[in-house]
Order: sequence, then C-alpha cells, then structure tokens
Amino acid sequence: MKSRSSFVLGLMMSVSLVALTGCDEPKVDASIYSSVDQCKRDPLVPPDECEKSFREAKSQHAAVAPKYASKSDCQADFGENKCEQAPYRSAGGGSIFMPMMMGYMMGSMLGGRRSMASQPLYRTSKNPGSFRTADNRNVGAKTGQTRVASSTTRRPSFKSTTMSRGGFGASGGRFGSAAT
Amino acid sequence: MQRVLVKERPNLGQIAEEHELEFVSGEGITGWDESAYYSFNLRQIEQDIEAPAQELEEMCLQVVDRAVKTESVLDRLGIPETFWDYLANSWNDGEKNLLGRMDFSYNQGEPIKLLEYNADTPTTLYESAILQWEWLEQTKEQGLIDQNCDQLNEIHDSIISAFSKLEISTLTHFACNKDIEDDKGTLDYIEECAQEAGIETKFVAMSDIGLDDQGLLTDLSDQIITRLVKMYPWEWIMDEQFGTNVPSCGVTFFEPPWKAILANKGLMALMWGMFEGHPNLLPTFFEDDPECEKFIDGGNYVRKPLLSRQGANIKLVQGSKIISQTDGPYGEQPNVIQGLERLPKFEGGYPLIGCWLVASSVQGLCIREDNTLITGTSSKVVPHVILD
Repeated sequence: MKSRSSFVLGLMMSVSLVALTGCDEPKVDASIYSSVDQCKRDPLVPPDECEKSFREAKSQHAAVAPKYASKSDCQADFGENKCEQAPYRSAGGGSIFMPMMMGYMMGSMLGGRRSMASQPLYRTSKNPGSFRTADNRNVGAKTGQTRVASSTTRRPSFKSTTMSRGGFGASGGRFGSAAT
Repeated sequence: MQRVLVKERPNLGQIAEEHELEFVSGEGITGWDESAYYSFNLRQIEQDIEAPAQELEEMCLQVVDRAVKTESVLDRLGIPETFWDYLANSWNDGEKNLLGRMDFSYNQGEPIKLLEYNADTPTTLYESAILQWEWLEQTKEQGLIDQNCDQLNEIHDSIISAFSKLEISTLTHFACNKDIEDDKGTLDYIEECAQEAGIETKFVAMSDIGLDDQGLLTDLSDQIITRLVKMYPWEWIMDEQFGTNVPSCGVTFFEPPWKAILANKGLMALMWGMFEGHPNLLPTFFEDDPECEKFIDGGNYVRKPLLSRQGANIKLVQGSKIISQTDGPYGEQPNVIQGLERLPKFEGGYPLIGCWLVASSVQGLCIREDNTLITGTSSKVVPHVILD
C-alpha cells in the first residue's frame, strides 16, 4: 500500500514539473493581496469578498504551510521573525514551526464572480519580492489584479506520510452502534 | 396529539429499495411504521413543543458556558482532564455545531419534559428528514390523509443551509464505524447534504484514520484531515489510542468537542441545578449527590448511565418497584437519577417525541414508538402531521 501511494505521488510530481517548465502554460486571472486592507482598497473587489477570501485562505494556512521541526530551519527558508509555531505537535511532543502567511490569492472578480478558491501565500528569504503558494509555486510580485500560471491556482495539497493506523475504532468494536 | 390509523402506501417495497432501506416482507421497512400517524394542532406544535425546545437549547448553551469553566463539573461528567482545555477552547472559539435531537415525553395537558439530549451522534435523521416528508407528500397525493396536513420538517434544507454558512473551501472528511449500517446510513445522508452545499467530501472509516509524524490525522491516501464530520461519540474518541493526539491535530470536528457536555446524561442534572423547577425539566441528580438518596426514597425514578446508547442499561422504578429495565454494555458507569415521567400510552405503544435541532434551531420532529417505556433499538419511527 505504502509503496504504491508514494509511487503515485512521485509520478504526479514529475508530471507537474514538466508542466511547469513548459513555456506555454496557460495563464489565468487572479488577485493577490498582502492584507485584507489592501484588498479593500481595490475598487474592483467588494469588501465582503475580501473578508471572505481572507478567511478562506487563513483557514487553510496551518494545514498547508510547510512545516519544520525547528524554528531556525524555518527561518533559514523564510527569514528572521517570519516563522510561527504551528498548532500541532510532533509525534514526540515537540513544537512544529511554519512560515507566517504573508498574503493571499483569490480568483479574479472579472465577470462579477470569483473564479476559484482562495489560498494563503508566503515569501521566502531567498526571493522575498515574490509570493509563493504553500506548494512552493511562484506567483509573482505583483499585487492587485494579475495573471498567474493556471497550475498555481489548484488547491495546495495536504499530503503527508502516515506512521500508524488503527488508533480509532476500538470502542465501536466493543459497543457497536454509535446511534442515539 | 392523536394517533390516527392510515393505509400504508401500496409500494413500500419499492420505496425501501429507492431509499436503500431494509424491507422485510410482511413487516415493512425496518424501523419505520406508517400504519398510523400522530396528528398535532398548530398550537401544540408551536407552543407546547417548538418554543420550549428552543428555550431549552438556549439553557443548554448556558450550561456549557458554565461547565467549560468549572473543572469539578467536567470531572463529574467523566471527561478526561487532558481534554478540559480542548473543550473549553472549542466553546470559547465559537466552534459551530450542526445536529442534535432532544427527546421528550408529551403527556396531554402537561408541559413536555426533556428526558435527554442526543447532541453528539443522533440517528433516525434520514427517516425524519426524508422518509417522513416523502410520506406526507405521497399520502396527500394518494388521498390517504387530509390535503391540509403539514409537518414540522425543515431538517433537510436547514442542514444544507448550515453547511453553506460554514464557508468551507477545503476537503471535508466523514467518518464512522463503517460496519454499522445505521451509523453509516446517517452519515451518508449528512455527507449528501454537505455535497449539496457545494462542499467536497470524502469518507474514511474511523479504524482507517492514520497518524502522521507531526501528529496530524490522515486518510487512507495519506491526505491530511482538516475537517471531520463524525458519527462516532466524543467519549470513544477521547478514550481511544489516537485520542491523545486530537487536541493538537488541528482538525475542526462536527459535532465540536463542547457537544460532549450536552450528550452526557449528566447534562440533565446540571440543567436542574441551574434551572430547578423549570416546567420542561425533570428533577435530576448525580447518583453520588446527597440529594439523591431522598429522591430515591420517593420510589419514582429512572436510573441511567451518564453515557449509554439506544436505551441500554436503564432502570425505571415506580412505587419503589422496578417496572422496566434494560441491560447492555454501559453498566459500569456513574449514573444520574431522574424523576420518573412515563411516556403516554397509545395503541401502538409509547411514543417518544424527538425534536431536531440544526445549528441550535428547532427544525423538525421525529416520533418513535416502542412497546416498552424504554425506547430502544426495536422502536419504529411513526410520521406526524400538523392539522388544525
């Protein structure tokens, strides 16, 4: 089971790498903002859409952001004071760190309707001018209405490596139905 | 409230098939009886049931608000200490709830009495929301019941609307014990409602849930679980091996952790403690409460474990004699003692009034008949109508 799923994952990654290096990847309209306030100053976006998209991105942040076992490792990639503690613990009970959310990307409002789900964006210390998705795809430095490679608008992946299973279900086996 | 005999729809077998429900020839759809219905007038529905249920819900939330701040209460409910902060945080953060069913006894001319609150893993949801509604429409069409009949039943639309309001943009997982048909059927229905609200969903069996190296929960394809709608009680989750990882796993649960307080029969004692004498409450005490002895001496009471399901391990005492008793696997727990309120007797048995709450608002009714005073697994859902 395990080897099959990592094989599929590996295959998926190499396919998307090919797609990324292609010159003619289609671009789509999107909007990028570093904050809700910046979004609200954009006359093209209704203020409540700014709030809603921000919440949508923020709610994904902890789950999709890259994770580190030490703060210094995180800061090496994302910069001094640019990391925070994640709301998770390692299997051994230690703290987990992740970069702070530095902005968010939402679908363009052209046509009156948001064209895609929002997602959080990050900035690395090597290339602090550009925004990156949680999957480490560069979406450029421009804020406001912009165009990005369509592959970057996909939802960030929540993949992980499972260490153990079967830690739930024992009571169900003992008592039967959960019905009340 | 009247019990009215009515002809069954002639194509029950086919209806069962359409809804993927079990059908036994000569007996009908398992857990469902449409050879009769209960008829209420609008005043009974609105004033006797709906208004008190809504008021009780507000009271329940006040109980939660106090309980999460009071360690002795959480301790008395049997909630492990390692989950106290987790429960309190879920309440203080305003984590949203979806579903619950309050069970009432409704004796003519008396205020309805809350017996318990199935606030965590309520079932009979599909029968209430879909089967019952379809029965109303079809029996009206077939002229079997009065054309002016209505129902207290906004369950389906209100679940979808509650999901829409959550503004969920990420994959939402659904989990239960996959081998238990009742649980899986209920969960499947909730999942369909979520899909209708535009939410991307995926099922995972509780026993298939994994744990990754960072303490996050995963599904069978190693995808991290961030939202989980469960048909699996909190007390089981807290007790099981991965339970210790739950407070830090970052998952948003439905029902949220604070619902563990409402799903506990100890709630009834906490309610009585805060709102003693309320017309819709029965005097209820934790068994180790000194008040309890006096009450037991009175000879009319019900003894139930803090956490039991499907009417198991319950004892009814009237005139100091046991009049009804069930066994089951929950006998080793602390109990509450509640004043005896007999369900009314009708031709088909003893009807229990279930009142559905969706996102804390009263949205539907579900009547279950059993041939004993303790409503258990052999009970059947009987449809209801409102007719003035």
